[in-house]
Amino acid sequence: MNDNKHLQADVNGDHLASVSGSGAKASSKASRSIESDAEFHQNSNPLSTYLKRQLLPVLADLRLAILLLLAIALFSASGTVIEQGESLNFYQANYPEDPALFGFLSWKVIFSLGLDHVYRTWWFLSLLILFGASLTACTFTRQLPSLKAARRWSFYTKPQQFQRLALSAELPDGSLETTENYLQQKQYRVFREGDRLYARKGIVGRIGPIVVHASMLIVLAGSIWGAMTGFFAQELIPSGQIAPIQNILDAGPWAAPQLPKDWAVKVNRFWIDYAPSGRIDQFYSDLSIVDKTGNEVDQDVIYVNHPFKYRGVTLYQTDWGIAAIQVRVNNSPVLQLPMAMLNTNGQGRLWGTWVPTKPDLSSGIAVVAKDLQGTVLVYGTDGQLVNILREGFSVEVDSVNVTLEKIIGSTGLQIKADPGIPIVYTGFALLMIGVVMSYVSHSQIWVLRTPSQLYVGGRTNRAQVTFERDLTALLDHLSHGPEASQSNVANPTPVPPA
Amino acid sequence: MDLVTLQGWLDNASFAILFLSMLVYWAGATFPQVALLPALGTAGMAIANLCMATLLGARWLEAGYFPLSNLYESLFFVAWSITAVHLLAENMSQSRFVGTITAPVAMGIAAFAALSLPDQMQVSEPLVPALKSNWLMMHVSVMLLSYGALMVGSLLAIAFLIATRGQEVVLRGSSYGTGAVRLRRTGDTSAVTRARAEEGKAIATDQPMSTPVLATTLAANATSPLTVATADAGATGATAATMTTTAPIAKQLTFETLGLADTLDNISYRMIGLGFPLLTIGIIAGGVWANEAWGTYWSWDPKETWALITWLVFAAYLHARITKGWQGRRPAILAASGFVVVWVCYLGVNLLGKGLHSYGWFF
Repeated sequence: MNDNKHLQADVNGDHLASVSGSGAKASSKASRSIESDAEFHQNSNPLSTYLKRQLLPVLADLRLAILLLLAIALFSASGTVIEQGESLNFYQANYPEDPALFGFLSWKVIFSLGLDHVYRTWWFLSLLILFGASLTACTFTRQLPSLKAARRWSFYTKPQQFQRLALSAELPDGSLETTENYLQQKQYRVFREGDRLYARKGIVGRIGPIVVHASMLIVLAGSIWGAMTGFFAQELIPSGQIAPIQNILDAGPWAAPQLPKDWAVKVNRFWIDYAPSGRIDQFYSDLSIVDKTGNEVDQDVIYVNHPFKYRGVTLYQTDWGIAAIQVRVNNSPVLQLPMAMLNTNGQGRLWGTWVPTKPDLSSGIAVVAKDLQGTVLVYGTDGQLVNILREGFSVEVDSVNVTLEKIIGSTGLQIKADPGIPIVYTGFALLMIGVVMSYVSHSQIWVLRTPSQLYVGGRTNRAQVTFERDLTALLDHLSHGPEASQSNVANPTPVPPA
Repeated sequence: MDLVTLQGWLDNASFAILFLSMLVYWAGATFPQVALLPALGTAGMAIANLCMATLLGARWLEAGYFPLSNLYESLFFVAWSITAVHLLAENMSQSRFVGTITAPVAMGIAAFAALSLPDQMQVSEPLVPALKSNWLMMHVSVMLLSYGALMVGSLLAIAFLIATRGQEVVLRGSSYGTGAVRLRRTGDTSAVTRARAEEGKAIATDQPMSTPVLATTLAANATSPLTVATADAGATGATAATMTTTAPIAKQLTFETLGLADTLDNISYRMIGLGFPLLTIGIIAGGVWANEAWGTYWSWDPKETWALITWLVFAAYLHARITKGWQGRRPAILAASGFVVVWVCYLGVNLLGKGLHSYGWFF
């Protein structure tokens, strides 16, 4: 009988052992099965035996998983507190050696540990890979066996088996038919054989965590693939110009096929819509893709949140600037003068240029603009503000008439290809499904009819409070009879106590 | 009626009702004999919930977009989420204690939004270009809902820690994340069983099966074991002791039900279990949106890093519950610390004033 009980405990998913166990019981169980595996492959190489016997149980240990989760959290947090990607001077100024912050955090420590770029240090990436390994190990040594155990249920055949469940009770009356009908109404899947009954629901709750783990591995794999095969570039292109994609800031080792070689981007027009209050409403770029001969092959207007995709490469509206102004001096043809960004020490963005008013360049005006709303500020040689000039209007300086024809903006594009995206998105989709599935509680109910008593017992792995209430309702239903709980039951006659 | 006037009225009303609900819940916990108080508290929370929903609805009508563009609106959305999740948790647990800890937090948020925020931050502003997307609603609303659920879960963990302070935690060795195993075998009138019985009475006196009782053959002869089960645990225990000599094999098997601490612990687990998928979906929605808007689904921006940290801390909590070596108070401590992490993620990060998520702020 003892043996039988032991078997029951395992078969019916004593999940304390099979799911949870980072404790001794589970480890010994895991290593036992591994040993038998090792015996089977007696001549396999000693390294793999070592990996299986020693490394796997460590990797699959839930305490390691928790430690990893918290360690990744901690180091991620450090990257939000310590500024990332700044210059050496910055760290030397803000994290002096004496006095060091908290007594140890000097710029030397930051640099030697790579805390200025935490998310790309070898040790942070190693943690992520170790985390992935732990996920995989956990799936194979715990989750799959646990799911298997949950699917391979069995009936309880002896009253003693009910004693180990916290939620178990015996009733003098109540029939299996009533129980079956009641549980079926409550969406349980019911199995019945003679005087025994087993019912379960929410087995998706045991599949969910497996899906979550698998999908995280998919996301991890997709992001690695993307880093290896993708690239990203930035271009600041004046309105009206064609530019090939050259300013590549980052490219993976296998990114070559993604890089655009036989096409370039033409900015037909860049403009900003302003709200009446002067706030920026939206940035727009009318873009064409042109081939080597300059023929347009595709065209679209992009704006923030609306990128343009062409042959696996995506163009995003991310930045803008002022490229040039067009002016006429007296009756001259239209001159285009490039605008340069001025250093304002972080006090907003300004662009400026200089327009000569004398043929020997001995005098002129400085033109400063801050947006594309059509006005510029004109300063004289003495640095005094001369006037505010609108597009289409003119100003007279040194008896010369300067007409502002047009302010030309430039669009800042982020150009990117990431072939890992479909993999990452698949992972995202599965992850969302998996976490939702994982909310479901897997509930099991056993019933045994003996000549004198009806034994009812149950367990669930998550929603204890709700399950206890449900099971209490079942007992109520069974002992007060079906009439009391107003359900339509096929066989309303309770089995009288023997 | 003028929508702006209505809003000004509703935000103060929400605060006042939440404040009253809090007092009612506290009174209900202090005087358990007054059965009306918990019901009154629930009604208060429900009314506050509707007030805030109407407030946000009015803003939606006024501005023409989902009202999650500044701090004022997002605070009210979080407060609304907390009250909504509170109502769910209260319904699940049937416990009057849930409100004693969730109501003050919801009240505090509403007070901050309605009273402390300067007036110019309360008016709805047009959206900046980066926020003009249908993803705004998807991402932000799900994130804030998840904050609400996670906060309620964390608060219940704090309540659990308070309820079990100075005690040996009974959950030891069998977390209710996995354990359904009887702590003591039938017939063993241990301190543990009695402790649970006493706790059980505190929350569920109106339920038919609130006390784990070792009924005897005598009890089994009664019409229903359920009625007997409500008998006083101590007295029945004594009967059991006397009856054991005469009828050793005939002990009636009854439920070993959850006590107050166990209930708080399990509802905390369920609420975090609800918040966690929402957080996951919210982060993913943010990632997909970021990829649509500026071409990368993850850029280690402080806000998204803290969302990941929150996710990792609660993932650690969920795993701690099914780990044998991590039982008793430890998962609850982790969940309680999650409360701080959620707040850092929600508001703390914006104090840094940098990154892609600094909209609608005065810092």
